[in-house]
Amino acid sequence: MKKIYFLSFCFALLFKLASAQDNGKTIGVSYQQAGIVQVVSDLESKTGYHFFYNPAQFDSLKVTLQATDRTLAAVLNLAFKGTDFNFTIKDKFVFLIKGRQIAANLPPGFFTSTQSAAIPASTVTDYSTDQVQQKVAEATTENKLYEIGLRTNNIKPGNSTLAGYVRNIKTGEAVIGASIYVPDTKTGAASDQFGYFSLTLPRGKQTLIVKGLGMKDTRRRIILYSDGKLNIEMQEQVTSLKEVTISAEKVANVKSVEMGVNKLDIRSIKQIPTAFGEADVLRVVLTLPGVQSVGEATTGFNVRGGAADQNLILFNDATIYNPSHFFGFFSAFDPDLVKNIELYKSTIPEKYGGRLSSVLEVTDRDGNKKNFTGSAGIGLLTSRINLEGPIVKDKTSVIFGARTSYSDWLLSLLPPAYKNSSASFYDVNLGITSQIDDKNTIYLMGYVSQDKFRLNSDTSYAYGNRNANIKWKHNFNNKLYSIFLVGYDHYDYNVSSTQNAIDAYKLDFGINQYNGRLDFTYYLNPKNTIDFGVSTIYYSMNPGQEVPDGKQSLVIPQIVPQEQASENALYLGDKYDITPEFSVSAGIRYSLYAYLGAQTVDNYAANLPKTAINVVDSTTYGKGKVINTYKGPEIRLSARYNLSDDLSLKAAYNTLRQYIHLLSNTTSISPTDTYKLSDPNIKPQFGQQISLGLYKNAASNTIETSVEVYYKKINNYLDYRSGATLLLNDHVEQEVINTQGKAYGVEFLVKKTAGKLNGWISYTYARTFLKQDDPNAGELINNGNFYPASYDKPHDFNFNGNYRVSHRFSISLDMTYSTGRPITLPIAKYEYGGSERVYYSDRNAYRIPDYFRTDLSMTIEGNHKVHQLTHNSWSIGVYNLTGRANAYSTYFQEQGGVINGYQLSIFARPIPFVNYNIRF
Amino acid sequence: MEKTICIFFLLICLIAGWESCTKSYTPKIVAGNLNYLVVEGFINIGNDSAIFNLSRTVKVNAGVDTAVETGAILNIEGIDNKSFPVPELGKGKYGVAGLSLDNTKQYRLRIKTTDGNSYLSDFTKAKLTPPIDSVGYTQLSNGIQVYVNTHDPNNNTLYYRWAYNETWEFHAFYPSFYYSDGSAIQQRTPDLLNFYCFTNTASTSITLGSSAKLKQDVIYQQPIIFIPATSEKIESRYSILLKQYAMTSDEFNYWQSLQKNTEKIGSIFDSQPSEIQGNIHCISNPSLPVVGYIGSTNMQSKRVFIAKTDLPTKWVATYPYSCPLDSFLYCRPPYCINDVAAHLIPQPSEEVPTTAIFGSDGLPVGFLGSFNTCVDCTIRGTKQKPSFW
Repeated sequence: MKKIYFLSFCFALLFKLASAQDNGKTIGVSYQQAGIVQVVSDLESKTGYHFFYNPAQFDSLKVTLQATDRTLAAVLNLAFKGTDFNFTIKDKFVFLIKGRQIAANLPPGFFTSTQSAAIPASTVTDYSTDQVQQKVAEATTENKLYEIGLRTNNIKPGNSTLAGYVRNIKTGEAVIGASIYVPDTKTGAASDQFGYFSLTLPRGKQTLIVKGLGMKDTRRRIILYSDGKLNIEMQEQVTSLKEVTISAEKVANVKSVEMGVNKLDIRSIKQIPTAFGEADVLRVVLTLPGVQSVGEATTGFNVRGGAADQNLILFNDATIYNPSHFFGFFSAFDPDLVKNIELYKSTIPEKYGGRLSSVLEVTDRDGNKKNFTGSAGIGLLTSRINLEGPIVKDKTSVIFGARTSYSDWLLSLLPPAYKNSSASFYDVNLGITSQIDDKNTIYLMGYVSQDKFRLNSDTSYAYGNRNANIKWKHNFNNKLYSIFLVGYDHYDYNVSSTQNAIDAYKLDFGINQYNGRLDFTYYLNPKNTIDFGVSTIYYSMNPGQEVPDGKQSLVIPQIVPQEQASENALYLGDKYDITPEFSVSAGIRYSLYAYLGAQTVDNYAANLPKTAINVVDSTTYGKGKVINTYKGPEIRLSARYNLSDDLSLKAAYNTLRQYIHLLSNTTSISPTDTYKLSDPNIKPQFGQQISLGLYKNAASNTIETSVEVYYKKINNYLDYRSGATLLLNDHVEQEVINTQGKAYGVEFLVKKTAGKLNGWISYTYARTFLKQDDPNAGELINNGNFYPASYDKPHDFNFNGNYRVSHRFSISLDMTYSTGRPITLPIAKYEYGGSERVYYSDRNAYRIPDYFRTDLSMTIEGNHKVHQLTHNSWSIGVYNLTGRANAYSTYFQEQGGVINGYQLSIFARPIPFVNYNIRF
Repeated sequence: MEKTICIFFLLICLIAGWESCTKSYTPKIVAGNLNYLVVEGFINIGNDSAIFNLSRTVKVNAGVDTAVETGAILNIEGIDNKSFPVPELGKGKYGVAGLSLDNTKQYRLRIKTTDGNSYLSDFTKAKLTPPIDSVGYTQLSNGIQVYVNTHDPNNNTLYYRWAYNETWEFHAFYPSFYYSDGSAIQQRTPDLLNFYCFTNTASTSITLGSSAKLKQDVIYQQPIIFIPATSEKIESRYSILLKQYAMTSDEFNYWQSLQKNTEKIGSIFDSQPSEIQGNIHCISNPSLPVVGYIGSTNMQSKRVFIAKTDLPTKWVATYPYSCPLDSFLYCRPPYCINDVAAHLIPQPSEEVPTTAIFGSDGLPVGFLGSFNTCVDCTIRGTKQKPSFW
């Protein structure tokens, strides 16, 4: 087939092409079931023209035709009518071909200089237009030259857009965050959460360098004629001795406009030892620079001086309100399904909003589109299983994961007083990806988690997340695509106690969030990528209700009225590459929040503390009535300047607004913390951050270094009056005080991404202060001076290293040091109420001892034979290798009339762990 | 929530080893000498005396428990401008006998200390304490839970605090029928027997209760104290004198925060400590903190007894000391060493004879003996029977 083309063109070139087609001569023919040979020889003899064709193509053709006084063209038209055969007459030559038509004339300007004139693309015949759908090139090979777009002999100057998906060749799932980089032009793009990329680059021969997280680096050679599609299939990183990738975004570190973004794939997450041996997403987040926590047994984390509720945790685009299981020992994300995580600390994309400090995106894998596979893991406290496979091969896949705990054996070892205790959790994930066609993909996710614990048959606690969403991705063309999302997020907990029939109660809290989002990404031109969209959230919250449990109970039902609000936003952002060296990303998000009825709101006397005695009156609003609104723009600005190829300078300025507040006056996040929506008496939080960073890569991008400094201001952060009661309080405004916060810090990161030895070292110096100096608030904390927030830990050092001894054996070492957390210490003692009591210092005036921990883990893989039923691996390790008794907290307790100081450690000894994993 | 945490730590400690979980901790505190005035007591609107204890805060690591405040001048002042001086009783204690105050009036306490500072409490409404309905106990598998029932028919009290005095009879490990007078072993006369004793203790923890969220002002089976089955308190006969005080919600909050700060701090889910100001202020130096809350109420009390005979016979008290029994002979073979003369007779001695060992001729050849602490109950109590017993 191709030969014929080629030959045809050769002929066309060899012969003189100047004269016009001879249409004058007419002939008469009569065929009865004539084969091509017969027809051609007859026509050749009658016209003197010479025919070129491939007899094999025409073997099915039988011509029955009676005609007189027709031109050759008319005869051929009649002969081929209703078939897919075509002909072209040029001078004395006739070309017959099946399926398409040959252009006998060269495109204008073929022999003239390419610069001479702009040539309209329409003059180039598109050979593919006859086909209904052009197959998108599946570029699997490195050395092959892929032709993109409508082929022309001479390549037009200018740019064209190349778009497509980056996928894993083995499972067919999208590779997120893969960078596609064109070294010649120093332009690049990163695949989005769907593996989709769009890149505008000069037409002509190009080499694309493709790097993906956990994927083998690869390149594609293309010749770009016009806009076109190219799907890139990448191979998974094979465990090799020479090259182990932790983050493949090697170039992105320096070249991307974003700053303060950390991305990790599950491979590096799994390298980090954890207390019970199960890979833990949130634990790893804590090792990143600028991320701190109040202690070990909490999954709440603080980003750059922000509170734990100022992080937006998105799990496949669903908001997770409580990301922890089992008193915070496990995170809610099943490590067998998680593909990667991305933490935005500084440049928060304009499409996200609603939280002040950070966005943590946790993304699960898509199911395997080619084969059914699965894995299972067995640990000391939990087991997990995951299954995945195609429903429709190469089109629709499903992934399912479940985890459950069996910790009751552990609890049965407790002293008899706690024998009747129980604690358990489970979570279930389901993901379905369906590629309807080239332009439409549907993603479905469902997540359920539940925790239960009961203490000595007294009080039972339960909490859980429920999330579901559906996403529809539609590609309008190479340059524009949209994502439409609808989702439902839910979190609830309940506490009940039935031991004393008179006091028996049941307490419930629940939050429902209905989301809708429409996002567009438009690759305007090589220099501009525009994102825009709208989002809406409707909150419906049960802030708490306590009802009697049982007939004998005298408990008065206490129901805090349901709260409703809506949070809407509109955003527009542009990433603009002004020069190859200088790029700017500018975005604006306008958010509008409305607190909605039905609700009764207390009105307080102006300029007086919000206390019960200062309530003037109250207003009742009907269902759906807008009680009050808060609105304002949020600015997201960042810029990058490349000082050299591997050195860049970045700056960013961000403002954010937060309308939902976590109410917790305990040290760490507890399962019974409640949320509060902003209302006329509780203002939304407002945060501003300015940051500056220097990024340098070395040793052919295998070593990444960065320094970032930031300064942050927070307005209206909620702190609490002494002894505040937050649960079941329908006048929360009487218990909270607005504080102003400031935070600043510098973060250093050195990361080695390749080689037998890889890992990262980070050091952060950061301070966070709060201040409550509004005399109208009634209570001044520390006389209105700045005081350190309870997560203010100035020095924070992390080391994560992994050494691959062989293909089957690797060792990881993890070291953490940080300054002790601030506490309020007793500074004096006295006798009162029959016992010694303590008098406390100013809030957070002292610190607990510094924190230091070392963990070690080893992964031993079974043999690497490809064809075997199961692949298995062991991970063995020791958490807190040095056995240092790190103080989680210090406290002073009256016992028998004497005050004793205690230091409480959670993991005060080396804790060995073992985990068995199996893949099938 | 503190229970949650308990289990949480138990869990971890099981893995990590219990003893390593909590360690004693002494912070290095550089703060200066913080000697704030501490005022404890209440304006008694009943017929009993109004007693106030004045002291000063001391450094946490100070050797002394507390520093009493002497020489202060105290006055109870009524809103009707009546003033009642409260004279010093000594050792920081100030008191005045039943003033028969008008419980519809508001009262406050004025203090002038020797350092020249003046302090004043806020006027508070009198809260009348309803009588205690009953004090009872629930028998559990591992001990008894003493509880109180009370109610206010007027639905007016709502906030309660309890304190108590416990008294119990206990006995030594071995009865002793002999003693040494320094030169010889003598038989004990009944008044020299030291097997049964009495002892008592006052409550050290804050017990609070509230019926504010119930439809009726009823306190039902409010736990007061748990006594383990192995406690000596219930090995013979036990008595508790429970004192009940009514409070305003403001005073209740003060006690609650005090309780939170000193009894419930340290678990992960517990709230952060924060100093709460009472209702006493230094009027001469408003920035000077004062500790304490002066409410005005009367006290109600009730005494109950719990006898060993009402409790399971299998419950055996654990004696606090190890008590081996040894024999002391006048002539211990083979060298005929006189153990009695060497160990039992010289005073003071660690060892005390319990019973005699008789020879085949019916005469004592020696004594069984044990440690003082195992024989003499008066080391830990008194033989003096309390008046109410």
